[in-house]
This record gives sequence, C-alpha cells and structure tokens, in this order.
Amino acid sequence: MLKVENLNKVYPNGTVALKDVSFEVADGEFLAVIGLSGSGKSTLMRCINRLIEPTSGRIFWDGTELTALSADEMRKVRRQIGMVFQQFNLVKRSSVMINVLSGRLGYVSPYQSLFNYFSSADHARALKNLERLGLREKAYVRADSLSGGQQQRVGIARALMQEPKLILADEPVASLDPVLSHSILKYLEQMNKEDGITVLCSLHFLDLVHRYSTRAIGLKEGKLVFQGLPQEIDDAQFKTIFGQEAERVTIL
Amino acid sequence: MNTSTIESPPHSKNAPLASALSLVVPGAGQLYLARRNRGLAILATTPFLIYLINWALTNFRMESIAVWLWLGLALFWAWNVFDAYRLARGQTTVDWLGLILPLIVIYLISWQVTDINLDRLVKRFSDVQVVFKALMYPDLFTQVDGSWQPSENFGDIIGKIVDKPAPGWLVQLGLAQKDAKVPTPVLGKMAETIAIGLMATLLAILLAVPLSFFAAHNIMSRVPGGTVIYYAMRAFLNVVRSIDTMIWGIIIVVWIGLGSFAGTMALTIHSIAALGKLYSEEVEHIDAGPIEAITATGANLFQVIRYAVIPQIIPPFLAYTLLRWDINMRMATVVGFVSGGGIGYFVVETIYKGAFEQYAAAFWAVVIIIILVDYVSAKWRERILAGEVKVTAAAPKPFYTSLRALTWLVIGLAVFVLCWQLSEIDPRKLFEPAPTFVKNIRDFVTIDLSPDVFDTVLKQTLITIFQALLATTIGGLLAVPFSFLAARNLMGANPLAQVIYYFVRGALSVLRSIEVLLYVLIFVIWVGIGPFAGMLALAITSFALIGKLFSEAIENIDPGPSEAIAATGATGLQVIMYAILPQIIPPFVSYLIYQWDINIRMATIVGLAGGGGVGFLLKTYFDLLQYHKAGTVVAMIVVVVTVMDFASAKIRERMV
Ligand SMILES: Nc1ncnc2c1ncn2[C@@H]1O[C@H](COP(=O)(O)OP(=O)(O)OP(=O)(O)O)[C@@H](O)[C@H]1O
Ligand SMILES: [Mg+2]
Repeated sequence: MLKVENLNKVYPNGTVALKDVSFEVADGEFLAVIGLSGSGKSTLMRCINRLIEPTSGRIFWDGTELTALSADEMRKVRRQIGMVFQQFNLVKRSSVMINVLSGRLGYVSPYQSLFNYFSSADHARALKNLERLGLREKAYVRADSLSGGQQQRVGIARALMQEPKLILADEPVASLDPVLSHSILKYLEQMNKEDGITVLCSLHFLDLVHRYSTRAIGLKEGKLVFQGLPQEIDDAQFKTIFGQEAERVTIL
Repeated sequence: MNTSTIESPPHSKNAPLASALSLVVPGAGQLYLARRNRGLAILATTPFLIYLINWALTNFRMESIAVWLWLGLALFWAWNVFDAYRLARGQTTVDWLGLILPLIVIYLISWQVTDINLDRLVKRFSDVQVVFKALMYPDLFTQVDGSWQPSENFGDIIGKIVDKPAPGWLVQLGLAQKDAKVPTPVLGKMAETIAIGLMATLLAILLAVPLSFFAAHNIMSRVPGGTVIYYAMRAFLNVVRSIDTMIWGIIIVVWIGLGSFAGTMALTIHSIAALGKLYSEEVEHIDAGPIEAITATGANLFQVIRYAVIPQIIPPFLAYTLLRWDINMRMATVVGFVSGGGIGYFVVETIYKGAFEQYAAAFWAVVIIIILVDYVSAKWRERILAGEVKVTAAAPKPFYTSLRALTWLVIGLAVFVLCWQLSEIDPRKLFEPAPTFVKNIRDFVTIDLSPDVFDTVLKQTLITIFQALLATTIGGLLAVPFSFLAARNLMGANPLAQVIYYFVRGALSVLRSIEVLLYVLIFVIWVGIGPFAGMLALAITSFALIGKLFSEAIENIDPGPSEAIAATGATGLQVIMYAILPQIIPPFVSYLIYQWDINIRMATIVGLAGGGGVGFLLKTYFDLLQYHKAGTVVAMIVVVVTVMDFASAKIRERMV
C-alpha cells in the first residue's frame, strides 16, 4: 500500500508545486492522476520515488517510510518501483536490449554491469518481456530507430525488468496518437490485472481515465481537489479540476 | 551604420539641428534622432579611423596616399551629416556609403601596411620558377646502373632498410649472431610526422575528457563552488586555445629542447584546449531523460554514468576526436619548423639549402598523407554520427570473441608502441628542464609593457590583423567563381562540366592539404620576406577552404524556391535574384567571417617562416632570449584572438 501524507514541494526558485497533498493507494489499484499542465503531476510522481526530494510530508510504501530512508536504502526500494516517462527516456544510441537490461541495474553486481555483463537469466528475462510487448524482433536495433509507440513499449519493458510492485507512469501517452495511446494503456492495464502491479498513471484525457483507471485523484495548482471513482467526475467536478473555461473533448 | 532600417517617427522639424550636431560630433545627430545603433556606430568609427590613419602615416611611408585617406574620412564625415539631415526629414538615405567609405580607408591602409607589391609577383617569378619546376620532378628515385631505385631522399622521407647490429631479442631467439648486422627498416620523417599527430591526439583525449566535465555548466552548477571552477576552466581553455600550436612549440622548446617530443607536446597542449571545449559543449547537451530513467531503476551513480551518460557522449566525442586528429596531422607537418622533428624540420632544411627537388618530394608526401587522413576522418565521422542501424535477430557477439577485432587490437597496440618511440615521448624530460627554465618562465609571465615594446608589438599586431583582412577578402573573391565550378549540382550537366568539376574539386583539395607555413616558404622565395608573403600564403589557404565551403553551400540550395519563382513566370535572372542569392548569401557571409577568424589565428604564425607580422617579432624575441617581450607578444595575441573569436561568433549567431 502507498500512503502519501501532507506532501509539500517548493522548488528552489520558489515555485510551490505541491501543497499538502495526502492520499492512499491500495495494492492492485490503477490510479489515474489528472490535472492541467503545471498542476504538479510530474512532481508528485518524482517525489514518490524521490527523484525529487519533497520539501515536507511523509510517504509510506509497504509500511516503510520512504521519506526517512538514506540515499542507499532508497536506491534499493526504487528497484520495486518502475517508472515510465512521457518522453520515453531511452538511451537513444544504445540497442533496445541494453535499454531493457538496464532495468536490472539495481539487482546486478555494479562491477559486472560496468562491462555490460548481464547474466543469461537476465537476457532471457529481457527477451521474454520484449516478447510480451510484441518487440522480440527489435531487440538488437538501436533504440532511436523505433517509432514513438514502440519506444514507449521498450520503456515499459525496462520497468518490467525491475519486477516492480508499483509502476509510476508519468503521462505515458501524452506524446502518442490516440490509437497508440490505447495500445500502451492496454499493456499497463494488463500488467495491473495479470501481475497485480499497482499503477499510478497521469493522464490528460478523461475518456482514458474512465476506460482504464479504478480510481482517480485530481490536482490543481499543487492541491488535491478530487479523490474518487472515475465515474464520479461529473461536469462540476471537471470544472473544479480543469477550470471554468475547459471543454470536455473526446478521443476515439 | 546601416544596421537599423526600422522607420522611426519623423523629426522633420529638427533637420538643421540634427545635421549640425552630426557635423560637430559624428553620430550625435543620429543619436538625437533616437537612432541609437547607427549613432553609436558612427560615433565609434570616426575616432577609430582618425587613429588608424594617423598610426599608418607615422609608422609607414605612405605620404603618397595620405590625401586619399583623409579624403575618405572627410567624405564619411560629410555622409554622416547628410545622413542625419535625410533621417530627420524622414527620407531614405544611402546606407551603403556609410559602410563603404570606412572600408575603403581600411583597405587602402591594409594594402600599404602589408607591403603589397604586385609587380614583384611578376618580376621575381623567375626566382620561384625553380621551385615550381622542382615540384614537377620530386626527388624520389635515382638511376643506379640503368635501373631505378628509391633515392636517398626517398629513404629520408618514407623510410629505408639499413644494416644494423642485431637487436637482443633476435640473438636470444637464435635468429642472428651476436654483433651481426641485420637489415632493419628505419622509418622516415613522414612516419615520424604521423606518429606525432597520432600520439598528440591520444594524449589530448586523456586529459581533455576529465577537463571537459569541469567546463560543463550543467554538471558544475550542481556541485558546490562549481560555477567558479566552471568559469575558471572555460577561461583557461580559451586562453590556451587562442595561442597557436606553433607558438606553443616555441614555448615548449624552451622547456624540453628541440625534437619530436616537443612537437608532440605542442600539439597535445593545443588539442587539449580545443577538444576540452568541444567535449564540454557536448556534455552540456546531454539529455537528462535517460539519466532520470536509469536512476529510477535503482542504479547507483556509476551505473548511471555507464548506462545513461557514456552512451550519449561517446559518438560525438569520437567524431570531434577524429576531426582533431585530422587537424593534428596537418599541424604535425609544420610544427617541426619551430620545435624540430617530423617532416616540418626536414622541409625547412631543404628550402634553406635550396634543395628544391628534395623539398618537392616532401611536399607531395604531405599532400598525399593529408588528403588520405582527411578522407578517412570524414568517412569515420559520417559513420559514427549516422550510426548504422542493424536489424539482426541474434545478439551480436562480444567484441573479444571476434578474430577480426582481436587482430585490430594487436595491430593497434603495435602501432601505438611504434608511435610512442617515433615521437620520442619521454615524460622524464618534463621534469628536467634546463637550469634557466624557472627564470625564463618568470620573465615570460612578467610581461614587458614599456611604451617602446608595446608600440612595436601593437604595430606588428595591426599588420597581422590587416594581413588577415586582406587575405580573407582576396581568398573570398577568388573563391566565388571557382565555387560554382566545384558545385556538383551545377556541373553535372555534361561530360566537360564534370571534368571541370573534378579538376577544380581536386585542385582545392590539394591546395587545402598544405599548411599555410609551407606556402609562406614558397612565397618568401617569390616576393621576399615580409607581410606580403604571409598575406599571399593566407590568401591561398583561404581560397582553398572557402572555395570548398562555398561550393557545398551551393550544392545545398533547395530547388523548391527556384521552382516556385520560375512558376510565377519570372526570368532566369529573376530566379537567381529571388530564389538562389537569398539562399547562398547568408552562408557565404557566415563562412567569410569564420575564415576571417581562422586567418587571424594563422596570421599570428606566418611570421615564423618569414611571413611578417607578430609571429616574426615573437620568434625574434625568443631567439634573443628576451622572454619579457615575448610574453608581451603572447599576451597581445591572446587578447586579439579572443576578442575576434568572440566578435565573429556573435556576428555569425546573429546571422543564422
Ligand atoms: N525543476 C523545477 N524548478 C522549478 N520549478 C519547477 C521545476 N519543475 C517543475 N516546476 C514547476 O512546478 C509546477 C508543477 O510542475 P509539474 O511538472 O509537476 O507539472 P505537471 O502537472 O507534470 O505538468 P505537465 O502536464 O506540463 O507535465 C509547474 O509550475 C512547474 O513550472
Ligand atoms: Mg509532467
């Protein structure tokens, strides 16, 4: 279970990105995080695995207080928390295989990995994950030769290599067209349902929230303004989250 | 002067006042009319011209053109009054006059100061004819008893086989008797040159990589106190880079004495600075995304560097290194002029002896090697940056299991050891300088700023700048017609055009493969020692490089606009005016400024071979062991090169 308590984040330049955010995520949930651009979704995601240090507040994961861990202990916990990014964040010049294998780095001996050495078990695991995402035959091409949707699948495969219990997906489909969006989210849904991985996923479109998530939270200017079931987001709720002028748009 | 073209509100009532102001203080009227840039430019240009004319008249004999210089200034002054008047009345003025008049004055002065005597090119042609003739008959082979054999000179340049006492390991292996003579290959000056270029590049990588991280803003801004280190490192790299390899050569010789090692060190020092700067810019462009992603998997710092940083920087680092290797090979052919070692030393000796056939052989050897290196380096860079995308079903084998890779590794190691020996690298020498070294260094850094010395240095520096200016102009003017002949898209039409294309391209490549100092040697024989020879040498190298760059700019013309303009029913001339010229003028101007920047650097060294300017002064001071004064010269060079570098970068930035 993930529990966020009174989380605040103020950037060094004074921007208040999160204000007193508290919520809980039960194991196996698919939680959608919605909000306008700049509302603090990415900041929240990165505070959870402490890629960004929160200014104050506490985060608990499976009973451990993440916010109290040393850098080294946090590193070990990160292995169980996969992350998927809007810009995919692959190492473009490396092969797909190396990108996927790099998801294993937290587990392998640091010395061996410096020489690009991964065990055959890891290689097999990487190929299995690529197979699962339909990319088996692309294993040895350079990452930047893939299309956007394929790159995002590599990103998911990399996260799966960590054998995560939680996946943080920061707008995983914002750079993709609607058809690809569905295909990527279906994979995440599959991970969520079949493997029981908890998913936190920030999304822009309400349709996608309705279609995939089991629960949703809404952020506005760093404050939590909504918490509930996707179906509960009616027009009034929508306007609180997205502002008075916002119009609902439908994709596919 | 002609920068602002935006219409400002009409000040028609104040026209007399504006012109009166400009008459008294040039530019004042324009400032009063709120044309700030124009006013400031005129305000700065006028005293600058006065100073320059005055300087030229007191330092050089040019009474004959004094009238013209002052007339130019007067006309500029008058133009400025006229300009203020027209501007005030909201009328258009003749912008280009304001640019042309100062330029005429400057070019007139440059012409005189660089001692240009075109008639010498004709009258003294007979002096240099022997050199040109020798170039046709390089000393490579001799006829011995009716059969052709490599000549002594060939052996000196390329290599030969001599009988030498057998080395220990041959005796040990039982392949030779003790003290027996065995035929041993001895490599020539060209191999030494290649070794110098190669070793300097390798050594430079070792130092430039760590330094580049200290000069990268994105890294240093995260470390406490890093910003200070960042600025210090940047400044350090810039200063070291602004001193040419050749000048480093002179300085290093004071430290470790003449020889290949000194040449290698000079190249290394300059390469460290040049590569350090390029590397650090690459580090600054690293994509932070993968770093974040790898960190999120729970990887530690070293793994993050290994998997997110290194894969990003290796290809551009390699590409820059190859480019630098190309430059170092060129420099290695001339560094021997000052530091001994390599083909450069050999060339100077043959020229002074008047052994032009021997010189010719060295000349062609350099041409061939440099063209080869240029080609190889360009091809590799292309491959690295394009990065082949291979689609394979199976995992590629690790490199150490492939026989081919192993062979290359062994060859590489052997070449490395050989080059290490040929370039006489001996780190111990660095710690055993001559006894006077400390004093010399102290002299060198306590630069001499007494008015006498300063005036002399300033005079030669101005000559150097004028040399660069004229060389860029002449080289650029020559390059324009030839660049059209060397553009593939224009010359593909018929076989004759293609022949011309290949000929011009080839000629440009050959001309480009020769370092400017080698040209200086020839022009010194032709027109005599002095700035004229240096200017001609610079003009030739400029012509060769600009010609290539221009022709590539022409090849990159987008045919779309021509089609579109032609489709409107425009004539051929109109198509050129409206579709072609707008596409080629900006890159042309940008390349000219780039060349001007290069020429300023190069002009500081043409004097080392008798080409006049500040380099000559530097060499004299070093030869006379007057290190205070040499320090003044180097400081001046650093200032001038840095300022010009900055200015040219800013101008080119604005143009893009
Ligand atoms: N490194 C930073 N330094 C300062 N301010 C930042 C930084 N990163 C984000 N911010 C600010 O914090 C606020 C929240 O940003 P965040 O990226 O979390 O929003 P977001 O909801 O993910 O937006 P988007 O949909 O555009 O990705 C914004 O106002 C942003 O400008
Ligand atoms: Mg975001």
